[in-house]
Amino acid sequence: MSDFRAGRLAAMRAKIAAIEAGGRSDSESLPFGDDRIDGRLPGGGLPLGRWHEIVSSGLEVETAAAPAAFTALLATPLAARGEVVWVLRRDDLWAPGLAGLGFPPEKLICVCARDEAEALSVMEDALATLGVAAVIGEAEAVDLTAGRRLQLACEKRGATGFLIRRRPFGGLAKREAGGSAAATRWSVASAPSEPPAGEFGLGAPRFRARLERCRGGRTGAWLFEAPDAYDLEARDGTHPLRLVAELGDRQLAPALPLHANAA
Amino acid sequence: MRRLSAVSLEAAELGLSVGQKATDALALVPELATAEAEPEADAAALSALVDWCVRFSPAVAPDPPDGLFLDITGVDHLWGGEAAMLADLQGRLAANGLPFRCAIADTPGAAWALVHFGSDRIIASPGGQGPLLAVLPPAALRLPAETAAQIERLGLRRLGQIIDIPRAPFGRRFGQAALARLDQALGREREALVFRRPPTPWFARLAFAEPISAPEDMARVTADVAARLCARLDAESHGARRFELCFHRLDGKAMPLSIGLSLPGRDPVRIARLFAPRLETIDPGFGVEVVTLAAHAVEATSGRQARLDSGRNPTLEEGLAPLVDRLTNRLGPERVWRAAPVESHVPERAGGRVRPFAPAGEARPWNPEIPRPTRLFRRPEPVEDVMALTPDDPPTQFRWRGQLHRVRRAEGPERIGEEWWKGPIEAVRTDHLRDYYRVEDAEGGRFWLYRAGLYGDPDAPPKWWMHGLFG
Repeated sequence: MSDFRAGRLAAMRAKIAAIEAGGRSDSESLPFGDDRIDGRLPGGGLPLGRWHEIVSSGLEVETAAAPAAFTALLATPLAARGEVVWVLRRDDLWAPGLAGLGFPPEKLICVCARDEAEALSVMEDALATLGVAAVIGEAEAVDLTAGRRLQLACEKRGATGFLIRRRPFGGLAKREAGGSAAATRWSVASAPSEPPAGEFGLGAPRFRARLERCRGGRTGAWLFEAPDAYDLEARDGTHPLRLVAELGDRQLAPALPLHANAA
Repeated sequence: MRRLSAVSLEAAELGLSVGQKATDALALVPELATAEAEPEADAAALSALVDWCVRFSPAVAPDPPDGLFLDITGVDHLWGGEAAMLADLQGRLAANGLPFRCAIADTPGAAWALVHFGSDRIIASPGGQGPLLAVLPPAALRLPAETAAQIERLGLRRLGQIIDIPRAPFGRRFGQAALARLDQALGREREALVFRRPPTPWFARLAFAEPISAPEDMARVTADVAARLCARLDAESHGARRFELCFHRLDGKAMPLSIGLSLPGRDPVRIARLFAPRLETIDPGFGVEVVTLAAHAVEATSGRQARLDSGRNPTLEEGLAPLVDRLTNRLGPERVWRAAPVESHVPERAGGRVRPFAPAGEARPWNPEIPRPTRLFRRPEPVEDVMALTPDDPPTQFRWRGQLHRVRRAEGPERIGEEWWKGPIEAVRTDHLRDYYRVEDAEGGRFWLYRAGLYGDPDAPPKWWMHGLFG
């Protein structure tokens, strides 16, 4: 009886997984190489052939520097498989900085869109193109329809999308859309670096990343370090983001310092 | 009867002239060497000369049988003036064994008259061709020989006389054409010259029995004409980077459209698709009767075979090139780029932009071991309330965009001077010196800020600027 039940349950789970994967059963994933995070992600790594949302808070909503660096690091392993298209709204992305992080700038094609709708349609076009491994886009908000279209474009060729939520010229935030078709949503902020003992200056860049939503996985928050940044010798082919520590969900500081709440 | 159609300078000195009977000429000069006239070869040589003259001006028109019009508006300064340009042109022609007479005037008609009937190397000042023309005979108006002879028979031997007499009777007597020639010479009427176009042999044309105007018809004929031209390109293994589509309307207007490709191509479907979104900008008027498609920047491309493992290793032609073309034609070429290194230590110059499939430049790649920000502000933003322990120390705190940041860790300074070898030495100033610091605040934000100028100059105290963010 219980065998029968377990079998039915397993079959049903597989069915749901297939529906969730949008009809693609061979969804690939890109492991970070650390069980503390890979165990929480569906398929043991960042799902490929889907699109991911990267959000930030405070001033970063306008400047989007930490999300850009974090996304470039996420996309670096994908750059070996094909081209990466970065759809900008404001052309302040600086390739020498990406080269320093370990992202190959010769694999990058930059496109500067004139408005939000154009940025999303260029992203969609690029995602559905053969030879494009990843598309990074910057947009203020993605409604359910646009998100679904991005997902369909991802499924066409298996390209992975990254959408950095950014208000490029400041201003008031648009109303948040209720749901999202994204596979994951990360909230990213810079974190203080820790240089090795006895060294001056800054250490390797660190990021606090909270996985706020994850389809088919569990959320969490982690402290990442990019040991490859500005150091050619450290580049050994492993994932450019190294997990330093797991953070409690509450530990991740919001935009305002904690004592501001108390006051 | 055989006549002389052209004579050399030496023959002219012996008294021979154009139009003379060949037998008479041989009687006068028994040792005369003659050759058969070849008008076709002359025309071909003239058109070759037209192509050659493009080095002097982009607008060159042939004036058969033996003349050239060059529109030198706005180009003579490259030679240091009209006289110098004239001398250079004439000298180069003479060096090639082509004795040309030259003149410069406001209008093609006046220049023609001065060349054929005036002395050599006349340069008419702007608006000053009237007195120069007044002394020339009526034949200087580029009139048929009979008309010119008729005018002279009436006693009008100088153009000055014609300019003065009433226009209406003159026009009635000799035709509007003669009046138009006079006006063209004096600059009262514009004259349209047919300037040389760089010819492209890659050209296809479709003419319709009935004029078309429906949008779907225009899309279909675009695909048809593209298929026709691309079949030829394909047969000769060529591809083109630029295509120019032109709709010729019933009322004689031509409506051109052009697209560019990042890699030479000849796929008719792709080309038609690039034109498709812009067809709606074409106003067909009363209908389009002819459509033409010309390919420019044609180069040989090898026929590429579809790869057997195309799923894994796609070629550029299959995926990326069409994407880049779509985006470039939609957004404009300046909005799609690949970053390329430029050898300059001034940050805002180091990030160059190239077309996505341009061959790699020779500049050294950026040094990935020197930390550089991921976001660089186009204009550095001012930073206030900067405190530093000693002048050359990194700041301990700063205010940017109204927010105070306490610096936890810092690196620097990295001194970046201006490129003094690019401008005059007097323009080099110490306040152009920048000392860059990479700092991290208590929250972990990493910033790239710099101090412009040096301490110690009371007139120009150093200022702090935010130039980029590392994230």
